[in-house]
Amino acid sequence: MTHHDQGDQSVGMLRFLTKLEYLCRETVLGLKRGGWMNWAAISTVTVLLFLFGVSLQASWQLEGLLNQFGSQLEVSVYLETGVSADTLKPVIERLPSVASVEGTSKEEAWSQLVKELGLSSLKDATQQLEGNPLVDELKVKATSSAQVPALAQTLKQLQGIETVQYVDEAVQRIAQLNRGFNWISVMVTGLLTVTAIAVISTTIRLIVLARRREIEVMQLVGATRGWIYLPFVLQGVTFGVVGAAIAGGMVYGVHRAIAHALSQQADFLQFLAQSVQLKPFDVILLPIILLTFGASVGLMGSLFAVHRFAKL
Amino acid sequence: MNNREFPVPLGCFISSFSSLPFFYLTMTHVLTHPPVAPLQPPSAEQPKRAESIIQLRQVSKVYANGSHALVNINLDIKKGDFLFITGPSGSGKSTLLKMLYGDEHPSNGDIIVHKECPHQLRGNQLSMLRRRIGIVFQDYKLIPRRTVAENISVVLWAQSYTRQEIERRLQPALKMVGLTDKADRFPEELSGGEQQRVSIARAIVATPPILLADEPTGNLDPDNSWQVIKILKKLNQLGITVVVTTHDENLIRLSDHPVVQIRNGKLYR
Repeated sequence: MTHHDQGDQSVGMLRFLTKLEYLCRETVLGLKRGGWMNWAAISTVTVLLFLFGVSLQASWQLEGLLNQFGSQLEVSVYLETGVSADTLKPVIERLPSVASVEGTSKEEAWSQLVKELGLSSLKDATQQLEGNPLVDELKVKATSSAQVPALAQTLKQLQGIETVQYVDEAVQRIAQLNRGFNWISVMVTGLLTVTAIAVISTTIRLIVLARRREIEVMQLVGATRGWIYLPFVLQGVTFGVVGAAIAGGMVYGVHRAIAHALSQQADFLQFLAQSVQLKPFDVILLPIILLTFGASVGLMGSLFAVHRFAKL
Repeated sequence: MNNREFPVPLGCFISSFSSLPFFYLTMTHVLTHPPVAPLQPPSAEQPKRAESIIQLRQVSKVYANGSHALVNINLDIKKGDFLFITGPSGSGKSTLLKMLYGDEHPSNGDIIVHKECPHQLRGNQLSMLRRRIGIVFQDYKLIPRRTVAENISVVLWAQSYTRQEIERRLQPALKMVGLTDKADRFPEELSGGEQQRVSIARAIVATPPILLADEPTGNLDPDNSWQVIKILKKLNQLGITVVVTTHDENLIRLSDHPVVQIRNGKLYR
């Protein structure tokens, strides 16, 4: 470097560009010569990031679903057969901590259900089941979510009420499911990350070994360690980034397929279709996370590989 | 830009790169002479310099298996010298050269090259020293899947020369070893002599003040050997310090340069 470090800024800039050009050229050359080994490394990263991407997205959506439920303060009250919603409604409205009460007659509920199930004729369905199997229902809204369990307890003791359901139970179930799901995906992601790093490391090591004569010459003519090994590190990062791009494309494709399949379904599944809609924020965040993850895995794998050779 | 920081003799060499006609003339002169050409007398105008560029002080080398390769070697090489190191195979000639560029370390004693101790340098410091030493190997050490031009440019890439500067240096170097028309060939398409000339061009393209050649003629026929020696002599006349190991007595007699001999690990003048 002796006589090159001096000079004005433009010379420094030129030198930097020269280095950049060299690094890119050597990295591309390495990739060209890598052949099938490139794909071994890239496909491992792809599998890792695809599973990671899918589970991350699923977890986001479950969480979104939970938030939807969690925001509601509603207690569903199902009346005994024959008891009319209108008779109980004034009683419940007088209870403390009740904000509002809304009644649904069993006829309304029935026609709604039939529609949601996508059945063609209301009459046919009613005939087949020998009458409307539903009961009248009241939707009771509490003033705060903390009041909900106590309110449910009070409602249960009222005469003419068959069952009381509030969303808390369902939310707890889903939250439990989500926790389990997250735990499994962390385990699988961790395991696959280690695998991907090992595969990239092995690939880069094979590539370095295949070019050891070249490396020896470079060492003898005074190339620095960074100069010799940086192209290999960049090659590893490229594996990670390419793997991430493919995985991202696959996640997007799977997502589109599910959304499409759901949109063909009956009305009551439509809410699922809506919940799998990506939020605009997620559309940007997922690729960024995948690319960063992929690049880091590539970087770590190649640094591990090069580390052993670069020691003097 | 490159001239100002080199000592005078190397400055001459570089400016000869700039004044291409002169450079071409001298190189074609070297290469067109028949192998049995009469010896040139030692050039009288070559300035005598007292300054040492390579020094070995009480250097010993013991191999891992316990055999003594070199014992208490003292050697002083001045700037602008041309020195032959001879001796039977396995006498330690290559080991001595390798110690000069830090590929082997002495078991005892001190080595000073360019005022630095190669055996004490680590990592990038050693790389910086090696940039000021050109090395020619017996087995050429060319990179198989790179063209002649690329093999020579490797040195300049390593020192992050600009594309323009690489182009400026590449052509004279190729011309000097007479391989201008083979710049785009691959090493395996060349004869042994041509490959060795590529390796010489690579060694000098970054204009190092020292050129080490380890059995450069070991695998060559007499014609090619003489060509290689003539190129080395020419480089020496341009001011480069040249150290050559060989066991070819005939070549040494023809060249008429100082010789030291290594026998049983000891140095004889």
